[in-house]
Amino acid sequence: MKSIRKIDAIPKLNGSWKFLDDYSYKGMIHGQLLYSTCHHGIIKQIHFPDGYDLSEFTMVSAADIPGENIVPEPVCDQPYMADKEVFHFGQVIMGIAHPNRKLLREFISNTSIEYEELPAITDIKECLDNEKNAFGRELTIDHRTGKKPDPNWVHHHKIYYTPHQEQAYLEPQGMIAVWQPKDKIMFVRATCQCPFFVKEGVEAIMGDTIKEAVIETSEGIGGAFGGKEDFPNLLAGITSLLSYKSGKPVKIVLDRSDDIQITTKRHPARIEIETWTDPKTKKIMKIDIDYRLDAGAYQTLSPVVLARGVLHAISGYSIPDAFIRGRLFHSNTPSNGAFRGFGAPQAFAAMEAHIDNIASDLKMNPYKFRKINLFKIGDEFPTTQPILEDHLSNCLERVIDKSNYSKKLKEFKEWNKTHKDKKGIGISIGYHGGGYTGNGEKVLNSEVKVVIEKDAIVKIYVSNTDMGQGAHTTLAQMFFEAIDHPREKCRIQLPNTSKTPNSGPTVASRTIYIIGNLLRKFAFKIKDELGFENLEGYVASNQNEFPREFRMNFVQDPSVVFDDENYVGVAYKDYSWAACVTEIYYHADTYQIELTKSWSVMDIGKVVNQKIATGQAEGGVLQGLAYGLCEFFYKPGYGRMHGFTDYALPTTMDLPEIDVEFIHNDSPIAKGLGEIPMDFPAPSVRNAFHNATGIFINEYPLVPERIYSYMQRATDRHRQTQTV
Amino acid sequence: MKFYKPKSLLELFETSEKIEGKKYFLAGGTDINVQIKNGIIKDESIIFLNHLTELKGVLQSDNHIIIGALASFRGIIESKLLKNKLPFFQNSLQEFASPLIQTTATIGGNIANGSPTADVVPLLLVLNAKLKLFSKSKLREVPISEFYLGYKKFILKRNEIIGAVLIPENAETGYETFYKKIGSRKALTIAKLAIAGLKRISNNKIEDIKLAVGSLNEYPRRLYKVEEYLKNKTVDEIDFFELESQLKKEITPITDLRSDKEYRYQVCVNLIRTFLNH
Repeated sequence: MKSIRKIDAIPKLNGSWKFLDDYSYKGMIHGQLLYSTCHHGIIKQIHFPDGYDLSEFTMVSAADIPGENIVPEPVCDQPYMADKEVFHFGQVIMGIAHPNRKLLREFISNTSIEYEELPAITDIKECLDNEKNAFGRELTIDHRTGKKPDPNWVHHHKIYYTPHQEQAYLEPQGMIAVWQPKDKIMFVRATCQCPFFVKEGVEAIMGDTIKEAVIETSEGIGGAFGGKEDFPNLLAGITSLLSYKSGKPVKIVLDRSDDIQITTKRHPARIEIETWTDPKTKKIMKIDIDYRLDAGAYQTLSPVVLARGVLHAISGYSIPDAFIRGRLFHSNTPSNGAFRGFGAPQAFAAMEAHIDNIASDLKMNPYKFRKINLFKIGDEFPTTQPILEDHLSNCLERVIDKSNYSKKLKEFKEWNKTHKDKKGIGISIGYHGGGYTGNGEKVLNSEVKVVIEKDAIVKIYVSNTDMGQGAHTTLAQMFFEAIDHPREKCRIQLPNTSKTPNSGPTVASRTIYIIGNLLRKFAFKIKDELGFENLEGYVASNQNEFPREFRMNFVQDPSVVFDDENYVGVAYKDYSWAACVTEIYYHADTYQIELTKSWSVMDIGKVVNQKIATGQAEGGVLQGLAYGLCEFFYKPGYGRMHGFTDYALPTTMDLPEIDVEFIHNDSPIAKGLGEIPMDFPAPSVRNAFHNATGIFINEYPLVPERIYSYMQRATDRHRQTQTV
Repeated sequence: MKFYKPKSLLELFETSEKIEGKKYFLAGGTDINVQIKNGIIKDESIIFLNHLTELKGVLQSDNHIIIGALASFRGIIESKLLKNKLPFFQNSLQEFASPLIQTTATIGGNIANGSPTADVVPLLLVLNAKLKLFSKSKLREVPISEFYLGYKKFILKRNEIIGAVLIPENAETGYETFYKKIGSRKALTIAKLAIAGLKRISNNKIEDIKLAVGSLNEYPRRLYKVEEYLKNKTVDEIDFFELESQLKKEITPITDLRSDKEYRYQVCVNLIRTFLNH
């Protein structure tokens, strides 16, 4: 629970901590990606501008690839560089390098590509509404009883849409490759989440021409949020190829506008929900969910996002008869990828909206309706995984209580009677399964290493990166607090694939939950093995035993058995739970929602570092609120946003006071924290808007233009009924 | 691309006259630098202005407040003189851009960039501001309402620059004021629309009213027809259908990446109504 200072706090403040673009190597040249400006087409010809000495440039294309032209991913279908045909805007066609960065930029911006254009799907609804665009494996969770719905049950059938979301990390994507021909080693400096994925990415493209790729991260990684999970693999591959061909170190740092337009985003979703509710008991008796994601042009890691999506699709409700179907849809847009939440925010955005729709139809208080339907101990998920704790219900009760929800519901109703502007309050809940889905952690078999030196300095070796979220501070803390070792005697090695063992990627809310708890267990194990009370004392009196290396692997709890074929069993051993209440003020003149306050109560188990955890939770909540309120990336007819001028990240002035509380923090285990804060807040904004105005909007975000058009429709309908 | 840094105002005009072809005067650079980075400005000459202290500052002269064209928004927001004399003008600019851009961007640059969304212009329009235009041999004053001729087109002659903005010191006195800028967020945003208004009520009648809008036309404009329609009416006498038909003659909202024309139009109507009903 101690809020110890982050290890990177001072070097970041004084500017000595190096981010990727701060690194330079002797003879280094600069690279840039030449990418498709066509959504789908055959490349006819590439015209380079006149007046440049082409011999000064190093260029690589698909034809130069000595290894495979397929990026290693859960589904291997995306080439590093397009060969003859491009399948989306932003698809890389060439990597080009030159000693002068500015000249290179000029050269590339004046290069034109001639295409024979082919039909393309670029619109989100065009992609997701048409079943013909489905591709890849269909996932189903079948928990049906086979009984017909009772004719008295109230039927609800709605479709919900969620948008792209941009990770908006502070530091754009970047990579440096240094070819070392003597040892046949490709050294890569990366701003990334998963050094071992990058290693695979480089080794796949380079094939037998290299002996090994060694990846080390930059000291500072300026944010990632999932955006640096898979795109770096492709970027590292092309940068390496440029370094190999030129014989020089090559650095590529994406320009912000390129980064926004061509890298992975959160998948837009179309989620269709049908429910049947017993009007007497107010219990939802049957549900049917069709969960669709716009994957983009390639599947890449989308199947894994889809898996998490369907596993969280039912939200926190116990529904005896459930069927969930998940599919990926193809479009001619850059592949969508990982983003904090990973399929879950879409699921809650739809289901938590749907719950309010039903409650409203039944003329019920949304809180009371949730309480009746919420999971109870002894219930099960649609995968048959048993519910072992009622912490979700505890989160909901606590947030209702501390936000004064019931009182405000009445107050606002009164206030709204006499005001043109409206006040509203909305609820949402969510949860997040920690670690890889199903048997994933077993397969990963993460390993950690600890070296104890002669001066009792403990060095921790893990491949998990600190991208600003404080992972290295918290990981070290979990180790030294367990054995009461001084913090200044505990170091973390910068992730390097030749030095740190593979403790898996920095994703899936697994860093503290899997690796942190493993390190804690490891500390106790070392203590038992050596039999010390005080490590410093022990090392001092047993100098000949040190330095000494220890290794340990993660062993999955035997209760985690998941049938990947049928989606039955325990998908995640531990869940983090959350509930949220958000209050809004609606401006009738301008159709704008102003967030006035938002409360979140979460159960993330043991809180290792209160300050870091609170910072993560607040940041995630605001990312979630913005997902519901203002962030959108694509406008039909106008295309994608180019930068932060158009892509409306909220400023601090747009955000309300965010109140975060952790409950059940006396738990022995630290559960996943990374993603849960992002999962649930968006629908609370939408539900608060409904509470304020009585209007349901089933598409996100709730930007004023959308609200205006719904208001118009409501007025038109009202007029029509009056004429009738 | 060639850069010039004249030592004085006089040298500025001499330098400027010598340069053939298209050239840019760079004040705070918050727009021009972006255009250079994006390759929109490539080979043209750039003349730096921002070091010319004679065009900075806010001062009073006779019955006008004079704001130097190179006064920064930060300078305007912090000016004691403006706080006393033109508080509405000053307060309306609090949420302009971001603290970083406020410090660098200048009022002259905001006007001369010619953007339809220029934040300061609707305010200057309702305050009946004038621009003092400088050239080598001549000074002249033009009302800001006559400065724009079309999208990024001005009344400025070759080698003429905006030297200062003049606002009558009592421009706000006796008026109820109104300013709304609608963007995709509260700060650091480009206006989807902006509206500024001044009104004076006497015996329940609208004795005088001034309305100006930004982002609804090729350049920010006064709504003279709407004003004319409203003058000498009580609020109860206003026929809002008629008001809208006048408004439609004066604004041409568009749909773009940032917003929709229907939304822009309706919000403009709503805001005018709210201002009139208060």
